[in-house]
Amino acid sequence: MSVDALACPFIFIAIFFESFVLVTLLSKPARDARARKPGSATPLVAVVVPCRNEAETIAATTDSLLKLNYPADKLEIILVDNASTDDTPAIMARYQAHPNVTVLHAPERGKHKAVNIGIAATEAEFIGCLDADSFVDPDALNEIIPCFASHRVAAVTAAMSIHQPHNIVEHMQNAEYSFGITMRHAMASINGLYVTPGPFSFYRRSVVEALGGFRYGHQTEDMEMALRMQKAGYEIENAPRARVYTRAPHTVLKLIKQRTRWTNGFLRNTLGEYRSLVLNRDHGVLGMLILPFALTAVVSTALLFLLTISQLTLQIVRGIEVRLGVPLSYALAPRYAGFDWFYFPTSVFALLGFIAMVASLALVAYGRHLSQTPFHLGRSMASYLLYGLIAPLWLVRSTAHVALGKNQAWK
Amino acid sequence: MHHSMTTSLRNALIALGITIVLTGTVIYAVNYLNNARLAELKSIEDQLTIDTLSLDTQFSLLESAPCDSVASSTTLTSELADLGTRLAYTENQLGNNNEQVIRLKKQYSLLEIRDYLVTKRLAAACGTKPVTVLYFYSNSGDCSACDKAGYALSYLRDTYPQLRVYSFDYHLDLGALKTLIAVDKIRGELPAFVINGKYSNGFTTLADFEKEFPKGALSTSTPKKK
Repeated sequence: MSVDALACPFIFIAIFFESFVLVTLLSKPARDARARKPGSATPLVAVVVPCRNEAETIAATTDSLLKLNYPADKLEIILVDNASTDDTPAIMARYQAHPNVTVLHAPERGKHKAVNIGIAATEAEFIGCLDADSFVDPDALNEIIPCFASHRVAAVTAAMSIHQPHNIVEHMQNAEYSFGITMRHAMASINGLYVTPGPFSFYRRSVVEALGGFRYGHQTEDMEMALRMQKAGYEIENAPRARVYTRAPHTVLKLIKQRTRWTNGFLRNTLGEYRSLVLNRDHGVLGMLILPFALTAVVSTALLFLLTISQLTLQIVRGIEVRLGVPLSYALAPRYAGFDWFYFPTSVFALLGFIAMVASLALVAYGRHLSQTPFHLGRSMASYLLYGLIAPLWLVRSTAHVALGKNQAWK
Repeated sequence: MHHSMTTSLRNALIALGITIVLTGTVIYAVNYLNNARLAELKSIEDQLTIDTLSLDTQFSLLESAPCDSVASSTTLTSELADLGTRLAYTENQLGNNNEQVIRLKKQYSLLEIRDYLVTKRLAAACGTKPVTVLYFYSNSGDCSACDKAGYALSYLRDTYPQLRVYSFDYHLDLGALKTLIAVDKIRGELPAFVINGKYSNGFTTLADFEKEFPKGALSTSTPKKK
């Protein structure tokens, strides 16, 4: 059976999912969420910044928090050093005197431990977490707080994008993050979120405490907590205009390393402790559609990628074999010169793939429009086309890691 | 929860509908284009049938080969070659079990045989010295060198336009082709070739294959620009 024929069902599922996102975006819950106005309520909030060796960015991260449009007497910033070996503690110490800032130390390594220490140091009901390489928009908090209106809401996620993308790898991720803004907005409207990302997700303290606080979650503590909240029957909301900018890996190798960690965490969490959520009607669309889809996507992309690579190699070897001995000027010339509709390549797979790609580019563009994040759309979209070539690498790597039981450190 | 589940179920059904419509449209479009390809092939074949018959009838009327039709015979052969390329592409797209492809291939093979005979008659009567290659291949997995041989022949045909290559699917169920195979005593391993009446089979390299051609047959005096 050809790769095309094998890939068709997966492309069908991908288009189905994209259509589902589109329809969800147009339905009432998402429309209502978009109509939500920034709130005037200003409860006491705390933002915990766990950091390990973030000397380069911790000052800018803290400064961005201090610029939040929020009453100063209602905002606590808790910087928690997690056994840094660089200048992070020294830079943190500079903020010690600031009335809004508390500096703490978590000597034992582990992001969850640092966050828990931060939570224990505040009385605030709404607690945000901010990775120390991320920077918030001044209005972000005012967008987030109204999302807690319902008591069922245990957490609220923000709209992330890449901080000042420069190279193609960063632009590519920016497009992906923009796609993520659309996805998160759509999925939140049907309570389908299973990650509360490190950059500026907020939690209802009482729920976090009732669930036992943060704990080790296969280097993806934010996913573990979100899954735990979902399992307990809470809702996770999204504030699509709460802009937060995060620094991204700027080389392919670093990106692959980061994403392998994320995908590892996803596979270990969903196939491990939270397996009961998958295909569980009690967990609604998350259990019946989103988690099964995400699992299928990881495994099928990894398999299809390996299959495509092997087929491609075989074809190249055969192509060379066939052309051996024929002058290069002929062998390298296009076989069907000039445009002739007759030779227009048509396969169901290629055309469906094209539709899926156009749809995902549309979702990228919509994410930018929705969050009103200023970035160069064309550059990001063009780089996004690379994503399909690189993403399978970490999917293959993490599938192999999980299958072989290999572990990875968070920093 | 129940409210969002109902919304999601409705959304999922609509999404499924959209996906089915999109996939259906794509399948329809691909089929439409494939049928258009087959129709195009059919129309080219019909035209070539008329041209071949016309040339053939001219011969019969004059009771000898009209030597001023050498040019039109050459045009016919090159049109036949273009048709062959299109047919091979279509066969690749639709598979060699497609009934319409098989029918078109049969018609094509007949046209080739007729063109081959016309070329031979013209050569005898008018003193032209065309180089003809009958090439017997198989797509049934019993000819590992056929891809290489086919590519080498395409190269030679494109480089030396005086070369007339006639390709035949050895396993095609066609009486005239079987007779041609019997007359030329094609046997043994595929690919098999009859170059200006001389039989050979097997394919190793282009350089070795070129040695099978009569001296001067592969002259570069009028190479066709690619």
